[in-house]
Amino acid sequence: MTVAPLFELQGISKEFPGIKALDDVSLEIRAGEVHMLVGENGAGKSTLMKVLCGAYRADRGSFFHNGKQVAISDPAAAREFGIAVIFQDFTLVPYLDIAQNIFLGRELSGRVPGLIDRRGIYTEARRVLDMIGFDVNPRTLVHRLGVAQQQMVEIAKALSQQARILVMDEPTAALSEREIERLFAIVARLKQSGVAIIYISHRLSEVFALGDRITVLRDGRKIASLLPGATTADQLVTLMVGRSVDSTYSRPSRPAPGEVVLDVRNLAGPSGLAGITLNVRAGEIVGLSGLVGSGRTEVARAIFGADRAITGEIRLFGERTGGSAEDSVRRGMALIPENRKTQGLALARSVGDNIVLAGLRRLFPSGMFLPARAMKAARSIIEKLRIATPTPRRPVATLSGGNQQKVVLGKWLNAGARFFIFDEPTRGIDVGAKAEIFRLLDGLVHNGAAVLMISSEQIEIVRICDRAYVMRDKRIVGELSGNELTEANIVRLGTHQ
Amino acid sequence: MSMPSLAQLPMSVARVPGVAIVLVVLSAIFALTSPGFASPANIANILTQSTILLLLALPMTVIIMTEGLDLSMGAVLTFASIVLAITVLASGSPVLGFFAALAVGSCFGLANGLLIAVLDIPPFITTLGTLGVAQGLSLLATDGQSVVGIPRSIENIYSGALAGIPLPVIIAAIAYCGTHALLYHTRFGTYVFALGGNREALKMAGISVRGVLIRAYVLGGLMAGFAALLMTARLNSAHPTAGIGMEFDAIAAVAVGGTSFERGNGWLLGTLLGVVAVGVLRNGLNLLAVRSSAQVACIGALVIIALFIDGLRAEP
Repeated sequence: MTVAPLFELQGISKEFPGIKALDDVSLEIRAGEVHMLVGENGAGKSTLMKVLCGAYRADRGSFFHNGKQVAISDPAAAREFGIAVIFQDFTLVPYLDIAQNIFLGRELSGRVPGLIDRRGIYTEARRVLDMIGFDVNPRTLVHRLGVAQQQMVEIAKALSQQARILVMDEPTAALSEREIERLFAIVARLKQSGVAIIYISHRLSEVFALGDRITVLRDGRKIASLLPGATTADQLVTLMVGRSVDSTYSRPSRPAPGEVVLDVRNLAGPSGLAGITLNVRAGEIVGLSGLVGSGRTEVARAIFGADRAITGEIRLFGERTGGSAEDSVRRGMALIPENRKTQGLALARSVGDNIVLAGLRRLFPSGMFLPARAMKAARSIIEKLRIATPTPRRPVATLSGGNQQKVVLGKWLNAGARFFIFDEPTRGIDVGAKAEIFRLLDGLVHNGAAVLMISSEQIEIVRICDRAYVMRDKRIVGELSGNELTEANIVRLGTHQ
Repeated sequence: MSMPSLAQLPMSVARVPGVAIVLVVLSAIFALTSPGFASPANIANILTQSTILLLLALPMTVIIMTEGLDLSMGAVLTFASIVLAITVLASGSPVLGFFAALAVGSCFGLANGLLIAVLDIPPFITTLGTLGVAQGLSLLATDGQSVVGIPRSIENIYSGALAGIPLPVIIAAIAYCGTHALLYHTRFGTYVFALGGNREALKMAGISVRGVLIRAYVLGGLMAGFAALLMTARLNSAHPTAGIGMEFDAIAAVAVGGTSFERGNGWLLGTLLGVVAVGVLRNGLNLLAVRSSAQVACIGALVIIALFIDGLRAEP
């Protein structure tokens, strides 16, 4: 006999002006099951989850809780059914402590009317934190925690709400290897206690390692619901992108690199960097690998001039840089940061505004802003990079992650950049968009630009880069190229022998 | 834990907030340059004179933590003070006058809150507008003249003492403790931190952002009403320009105290120290016979110096 699912969505549709975000999507959520939700950016995964948790109201469709039809009109209603979501952008308050964050909106009342029982909150928080084996003082202010720890707090928050259905949106996107292992252990523990987990991921290895069931979305529609044992990674990718692509993008052969574009000697920085010597030539993609925290981002920022380097020499196109970001940009350098939302984009502004932002000096030498010229420049970039937006006037915030990444790149192309530093360009981006980002990188170097790429995924470095430097403890511990550039060698250098 | 060694000492000094350093340095300078500064009578004087400012700076901290601002406080204080004086003169009842002042303050606070939270007008613009309204009403009601002749009983609120402690200081202490409890021990206070820190988190928790905002501005207006009572008692009259620029001192005290204008990073004790620092500065400059206009410039410099010290220590 079949038991009614814990929760069921039927025929959910949701439209935004100009976009059909969800079209007749159904989903069965079962207790003790990890349900993988996959699909490209813009496939409708996040929208579906926002409908489930009450942040959006569906235009059509119905919900069933234990077989009984129910309504989800707001977040409070969703919480009633034990639905909790851990979004990629955490919903934590930086200057409240862990316990206060866990109980935000559900503070325990104290004996004095109107006052909160703070001690009770700490005791209760300790209990929930112990459930996931997170050993931290619940009085720690959240802004002092790292990304992985903040995620733990989010999970604790969900558990304290008696969550029976836990939605995790790309939980491993910002985690290191060890942190991911810990997260998986927690997921297994939750599953065993009967919690239903909906897990959105772009990493196919996770989908197969964790999933009990896989649902594929594409263009707002449900394409398939399958069991991991009955499908392969290639089939899944084909379903996701709707066309057959080689999920393992490999680098086309490139002509021999040209002159040295970036030459860094003996860079030592305030954050502990020491003896950083590296170079990048025209027409090549050079990888910068190493564990999270090994100093890769610090190197990128020091080269760019975002953080002042104390000593060392940075030459760009043969000339010493002035060590400031303004100077670097003027000389044709671009840094595409890891956190594009806060560091690379003015989210509320339009796609067009963002694209012309860094190239204003070049585009309007007289200092007078000419909207028509800006629009033309933006349109040409949008076309060149195939950014999916109906008009340059659309706010960047409404675009999918992959397209936002393209806007950042477009901004620098428009500014006339010839040397690009990419910090985790594929973080939080799905398979199809990844291949496209790599094609873009390839196009850049094909036209004579030089690229330095930071990535946590060794496989990406191996497949995309011509050479790679490996970092450990704020130092470069090796350079790999040709046949030596293998995942095994990167891991060996990056960890310990 | 062992005792801190000499080598660790600079580290712990580095953790002292800028406002505390500023306060100590200022006090030391004035104690050395003006003989009367460190006398018990003058210290009591500084504290008493700081009370009105504290009543404004406390809710200003809360409002700034919501990433807002209330420029209307000084003008609302003034208008409430005038309404208080006129009511007392007309009815003969100081209690009625007091409640009239609170009502005026609350109404302005409510108006600020509704305009900001419901109509979504930026706090800077909203409170600049209500500043103008309150200031205009004050001049209109008085023709620009002081309202005099109020009974002695009101003056006693400022000059009186309980067990040797000046009454205003007691009132201010109660206000401080009340605001502390409100900010750190109530739901409202928690939501104030959340409002500035992560508005989305508050919405997802099912809390009305508007409700929290409105209450924050009502608190501001209400406290301006209380401050009006002290101001009227201090001047033994109501004057249509008495509170002009007090919002500047209040914002300065909050900023000096280390409350940030973003991310909901607030510190109430810092505001208290900031208020005292502003009070010490004004008092010391008075003793040195520095003109009031030059004092404003000094307070501006104080804000910059305190934030500079905090900024120095924020570096890794």
